[in-house]
Amino acid sequence: MTEKPFHPAGVNPALVTPFKKDGTIDEAAFRRLIRFVLPHVDGLVPCGTTGEFPYLKPAEHRRLVEIAVEEAGGKPVIAGTGAESTKKAIELTRNAQEAGATACLIVTPYFLHPSDKGIYQHYREIAQAVDLPIILYNIPQVVNAYLPRRVVEDLADIPNVVGLKDSSGNLTYTMEVLEYAGDRINVLIGHDEVVLNALAGGCAGMILASAQVYPEVWQAVLKAVQAGDLATARELQFRVQKLSRIFCRLGGGVAVKQALRMMGVDAGVPRKPLKSVGGALIHEDRAEIQLELEKLGKIQVSSFEFRVPSGPVEGRFEAVGIMAKDVAAHEMRVGTGAAGDGVEAIQIDLLCGAKSSPLGEAWAYQLTYPRHGFEALTTILEPNLTVRPSTLILPANELRGLRQANMIYGPTQNAVAQAIVDRLAANVIPESAMHTHVMIVQAAVHPQALDRRVLHHNAYEATRAAIDDAFGGS
Amino acid sequence: MSKTKSKKQDWFKGVFPALVTPFTLADEIDEQAYRALIRYVLPHVNGVVPCGTTGEFSSMTFEEKQRVIAICIDEVAGRVPVLAGTGCTTTQETVELTRWAKEAGATGALVVAPYFLKPTFNEVFDHYKAVDKVGLPIVLYNIPQCAGTHYKWWTAEGMARAFDSVIGIKDSSGDMPFFMALLEKLRGIVGIFVGHDEIVGPALLAGADGMILASANVIPDIWQEIYQAAQRGDIEFVRQRQKEIQILTRIVVRKGSPQAVKEALRMMGLPFTNSDARLPFVKGGEFEREDYEDMRTQLANLGKLSPVKKLYGGQVVDYVATPETPGQLEDLTLCVGEGFAGPPFRELAHIDLLLGWKDGPVGRALERALGEPRPGHELAVINERPRTLLVPTVTVRGKKARQLVYEEAVSGVNLAIEHAIQEGALPEPLLDDVCLIANVFVHPAASIRRRVQVNNYKAMRGAIRKAIEGRPTLAELVAEKDAARHPFRYAP
Repeated sequence: MTEKPFHPAGVNPALVTPFKKDGTIDEAAFRRLIRFVLPHVDGLVPCGTTGEFPYLKPAEHRRLVEIAVEEAGGKPVIAGTGAESTKKAIELTRNAQEAGATACLIVTPYFLHPSDKGIYQHYREIAQAVDLPIILYNIPQVVNAYLPRRVVEDLADIPNVVGLKDSSGNLTYTMEVLEYAGDRINVLIGHDEVVLNALAGGCAGMILASAQVYPEVWQAVLKAVQAGDLATARELQFRVQKLSRIFCRLGGGVAVKQALRMMGVDAGVPRKPLKSVGGALIHEDRAEIQLELEKLGKIQVSSFEFRVPSGPVEGRFEAVGIMAKDVAAHEMRVGTGAAGDGVEAIQIDLLCGAKSSPLGEAWAYQLTYPRHGFEALTTILEPNLTVRPSTLILPANELRGLRQANMIYGPTQNAVAQAIVDRLAANVIPESAMHTHVMIVQAAVHPQALDRRVLHHNAYEATRAAIDDAFGGS
Repeated sequence: MSKTKSKKQDWFKGVFPALVTPFTLADEIDEQAYRALIRYVLPHVNGVVPCGTTGEFSSMTFEEKQRVIAICIDEVAGRVPVLAGTGCTTTQETVELTRWAKEAGATGALVVAPYFLKPTFNEVFDHYKAVDKVGLPIVLYNIPQCAGTHYKWWTAEGMARAFDSVIGIKDSSGDMPFFMALLEKLRGIVGIFVGHDEIVGPALLAGADGMILASANVIPDIWQEIYQAAQRGDIEFVRQRQKEIQILTRIVVRKGSPQAVKEALRMMGLPFTNSDARLPFVKGGEFEREDYEDMRTQLANLGKLSPVKKLYGGQVVDYVATPETPGQLEDLTLCVGEGFAGPPFRELAHIDLLLGWKDGPVGRALERALGEPRPGHELAVINERPRTLLVPTVTVRGKKARQLVYEEAVSGVNLAIEHAIQEGALPEPLLDDVCLIANVFVHPAASIRRRVQVNNYKAMRGAIRKAIEGRPTLAELVAEKDAARHPFRYAP
């Protein structure tokens, strides 16, 4: 066995390709991105899947590799050079070699699906045509086929085939490749959600979209696994798990560009037909990315004014036009309840009155004429399952953006609904009220609340307490 | 090459409903309801199938299956063939049940491919070989959606030729190229039945001998018309009639067949005290609540529902409703209804609806809001009879979003109002006295205009019905409060 010319390892970001609004490549932004990430990484991967390689022309492709080599400061540059046809892959690989790349990353031929023989021949021809180390690349999510292990097993004998990147996330495949080719080539994990597992199984490193967002976390995971400290590795992996999942499942490059922009690194927009937002990634997801980056300390948490309504409960509904005197005059019921600590603490103020009372008027008006930032929600167990008495949930504090709204829709909405139905079933809320009365629930949810599960629990407890307070249950 | 002579049986052709199995509230077999169902379908069918997939055979004990097959044979009393579902996971049980069915007087047995664990095809072959020895006519049954294995055509061909008892095959896969291979290899040798309701027309025209269908519980008469038309070569009729029932069949096939069929039958007045499929199937699960509303509309369009008298806001109304529809609603001060419809996700519609007297809180809210304009949330009066206000839930930004809300969603909402007036949900005599406020959600990333329109139609249709009927009821809420899955409750 001849010694391989290159041993890919460590933390390597699959760099996004910044495009300007007019669709051209923003070279300056690409350089800034590399400078931002370089201190924390072991190598660079331009023109990968995250770099939208199938949307690049050969000249653009070559230019991106050149820039990466110029900026890499001597660190390895692994250029994505895969293509549908063998001929085109050879052309791109030659270009990359001339541009100074250290190695290339070649995806399984895609769109048409060649047989095992065709796949083998594809890689063999490329390996013979160039003098560059080759990393095989398995990514069935986009290729719609696996790079067959038996083919990998044979390709590993070719002197300049030096590694395999596995983005499948299917660890049974990763283990099989390590079992049959791990003695000859390095395997790199390409799926952000299973980095710790793959490293523990014997992978030498990683090529990841998220390695340009939190490379230092991946360095720490790598170090911890190498030191045999799995507890630390797990803790680190789970710290970035949700964001990694969003990157993996919501169109890597698109989501990473959003994250980088939030962190102050302009990575441009994707190329059409991909959209920055509104495609695989929608506004709600963007809000979630923001939340996670705040948690990681990658972006500043903006300061919020948070007010928990206080004073007599009957005086807490003036914003919707119900005064304390109305509560008394129209035999409305009020109650309040609170549960939880810290940012997941929640307070619920509840008001119940007859449809024919001023509360009926206020109820109809809130749904007809939403107050900006205080939009009312009807209370549902799930869509197509509204609770009765018909209940509006109003935020006690202005909602600024989907980040906060996401905590009220869903977790709070479902919890309030469950508490109401439970108290109906227990006859604390009389069944007769279902059609004669309406309710307004004012929910004070902290703008930095993060944990939906805890929030759901607290919202349920607080609502139940508020109902019991209003209706005299226990 | 050896020629296999035809094993086709005269009785194996035409329309066979895969009978649902009604259960009582105590979860026992509801014999009365089952007999009533058989009497309902019998005039229109060429045979019946007890204990098929739609009959929830996989949720029943061996003894329950025996009982259902026995009741069926008794009620049918020889008027049409009874093809009993006898497929089980093991060969031993399958043989035992098939043998029992033979002695009980079944005409034949429908034997599903052994499921869950995945025997290889030579093991499947030996499975049927054992059943073949029972001597009861056998229909092979391919349903990969449930069994997890898809017959290869050569396996089906091999078994159909090898086993004397095999007189037919039912294919529920909906895989048309596979079905064509069956016809190519086996037509004239065994009876070939289609089991996927959505492709019956093309299957018959390609040469299928008949059908075993879940939806034939509900509309056996229409399937019989289609079958007859195919026999006389009336292609246009087959196309037209299939198209008229396509929404109904799609719901039945894809949205929880047993539950969908039972709900439909109960809407039509069959004496099902309990329309629930057995656990783990639940109300509002696979057969979603919007499917319930859709099924109701489809049955009404096909003339399967009769108007009933209802009292709404002091007016007696002829309402095309169901026996379950709550009876009356006197107080129209403030009625609330909610409707949700999708997919696709970005084009889903969610409507919160207020319905009430013009001189009550709803009417006053409407007029007051109109007098206080707010950019981005332009309110629109979209109908005068009844006076209807559209309120966009999400701030409307840009030309595309404006079109989606003020053209597509509005046209869907107005169509729902028109239909609600026709079916009686919005009583004609009240149209000048009540008004509606529809708070309409359109996702900012929506792009398929037609789906925005259709989903808003469906959401508004559901919202109007629920407002006037006071649904959901307490019983529905209590039954579902724990199992309810709010889609936005969980972290992504």
